[in-house]
Amino acid sequence: MAELSDIQNETIRDEIEEYIERPAEIERTIGIFAQAQPLMQRIAAALLEGDHQLVDELAQQALNEGVEALEVMDFGLIAGMGIVGIKFRENFIFVPEVLACARAMKAGMAHIEPILSAAGVESQGLVVMGTVKGDLHDIGKNLCIMMLRGSGFEVVDLGVDTSADEFMDAVEEHKAPVMGMSALLTTTMPNMGKTIEAFIDADLRDDVQIMVGGAPVTQEFADDMGADGYGKDALACVDLAKSLVKA
Amino acid sequence: MPDEKSVKPMTGRERVLAALKREPVDRTPVCNPTSVATVELMDLVDAPFPDANRKPEVMARLAATGYTELGFDTIMPVFSIIQESSALGCKIQWEQKDNWPTVKMREPIYETADDIVIPADLLTHQDTSCVLKAIEILKKEYGDEVAIIGKTMGPWSLAYHCLGVEPFLLMSLDDPDHTKRILDKLKKVTIDFGVAQIEAGADGLTLPDHATGDLVSGEYYERYLQEMHTEFCDQIPIPLLLHICGRTVDRMDYIAQTGMAAFHYDSKNQPGESMDIVQNRISLVGNINNPETLFSKGPEAVRQEVYKNLDAGIHLIGPECAIPLQTSLENLKEIPKAVRDWHAENLSEN
Repeated sequence: MAELSDIQNETIRDEIEEYIERPAEIERTIGIFAQAQPLMQRIAAALLEGDHQLVDELAQQALNEGVEALEVMDFGLIAGMGIVGIKFRENFIFVPEVLACARAMKAGMAHIEPILSAAGVESQGLVVMGTVKGDLHDIGKNLCIMMLRGSGFEVVDLGVDTSADEFMDAVEEHKAPVMGMSALLTTTMPNMGKTIEAFIDADLRDDVQIMVGGAPVTQEFADDMGADGYGKDALACVDLAKSLVKA
Repeated sequence: MPDEKSVKPMTGRERVLAALKREPVDRTPVCNPTSVATVELMDLVDAPFPDANRKPEVMARLAATGYTELGFDTIMPVFSIIQESSALGCKIQWEQKDNWPTVKMREPIYETADDIVIPADLLTHQDTSCVLKAIEILKKEYGDEVAIIGKTMGPWSLAYHCLGVEPFLLMSLDDPDHTKRILDKLKKVTIDFGVAQIEAGADGLTLPDHATGDLVSGEYYERYLQEMHTEFCDQIPIPLLLHICGRTVDRMDYIAQTGMAAFHYDSKNQPGESMDIVQNRISLVGNINNPETLFSKGPEAVRQEVYKNLDAGIHLIGPECAIPLQTSLENLKEIPKAVRDWHAENLSEN
């Protein structure tokens, strides 16, 4: 089993020691970074510091040195965002810090995505995502989309203020196995239920697995509305999509 | 709980104003610092959105139902959070009666502090003057009976609307000094609109400033807003009810030091733990859950949450935030009914 001392980068070691408390997550994170070459660890550390310019430079450097794009993504960017997700979940950091890390991840992905796209890497599945009708908030949804894409999903982003008809049209058009709805306001949360009812009325409910999320949304509310899953944050969204796409 | 046996019967207005000062009351007031507008109430008095957000007579008619139909001790005519932003020039999606008006934050009107110019017609613009006229109407008609609560948005919320949530939050990390300059320029809107509502007849003002628990830390509140909120208490001489959504126990101690009359708190915070933190330095208003209880469950669940708040000594009872527009009247009416029943039970036990 890998040890913390197997990780060369001091920032990564400190982050694991200071912020990760669950034994299984400590073991998993150490395992990932112990396998990562030092440059990938530096990319992850820069991402954790929200330094998008450094991530941009290091990602380009790694590709120039012949590191595979998938390796940069998995062991640099996604591994770094894994720690970000844990820190956010445990309230060590909040949305501004997550946005800065996401900006850094985007800077890295700008180098990675064209290569993966050209190589035709097989998608994990297609997810239709949108913020519900009447709600113009999209930070949470956009973080989820970024993590989903980073994890190999193809995502159709319907944006904000999405009507039930727009969700249904997109699911039908793309034959999406999974759909995600987001809401930030307690006043717009009921529109998730209305959308699910519209799928039932149109006899489309069995065609798609529906996941929901957003700051005020809870598992209980998701269950009451008949959603197939609830994700508390962007990391949970990825895990949920992985399980729903197989359902 | 104060010894209510020794308190003479009060009007709703007297009850609310006393509770905001943590003085004895004849019973705990039922307060609506945000909005209790529903589609059912709009139909009942023919006052639908968007007219109820833009025409003073329609706004006042819908607001009055909070007292005449639901039995609350307050009337609050500002159903949305966009009136000042509209006056500042933000693009608004006004919607119809089944949806809330919203600022199109993807189309920000400012990028930097230098862009911020408070328009000369801030208080005469259709969407701010509508609020002022509605308060005048309500004060004239109901001012002796219930407390008329207005609303003036804080600079943090205005910054979301005017600069976009994501750019503003990133700026708060990248450039704290610039962020403070933005807040400092926007605070004039909060103060001017607040003072105008006092002149129109408001008894108190809700001051939403969405440094919410789901977005930023308690340390952020202390760094960016505590001092400014303290200043508002001097500049806007009326009881202020600060509204911040989400889990906020990490900033309640800072909030309690500002001099605000009350903090409108969310159901993500337990009544008991919240009371322990504020230690009678500020009144608490809340915190009946909206999506799971008021919207999705029945009167018995509402009653349980009301009792939980009253048992903890919460000073004013009400929904945690603006309620979903499809909330049933039965559930809303249960709030004042449960408050009266709790007091009757507790008096008979003593």
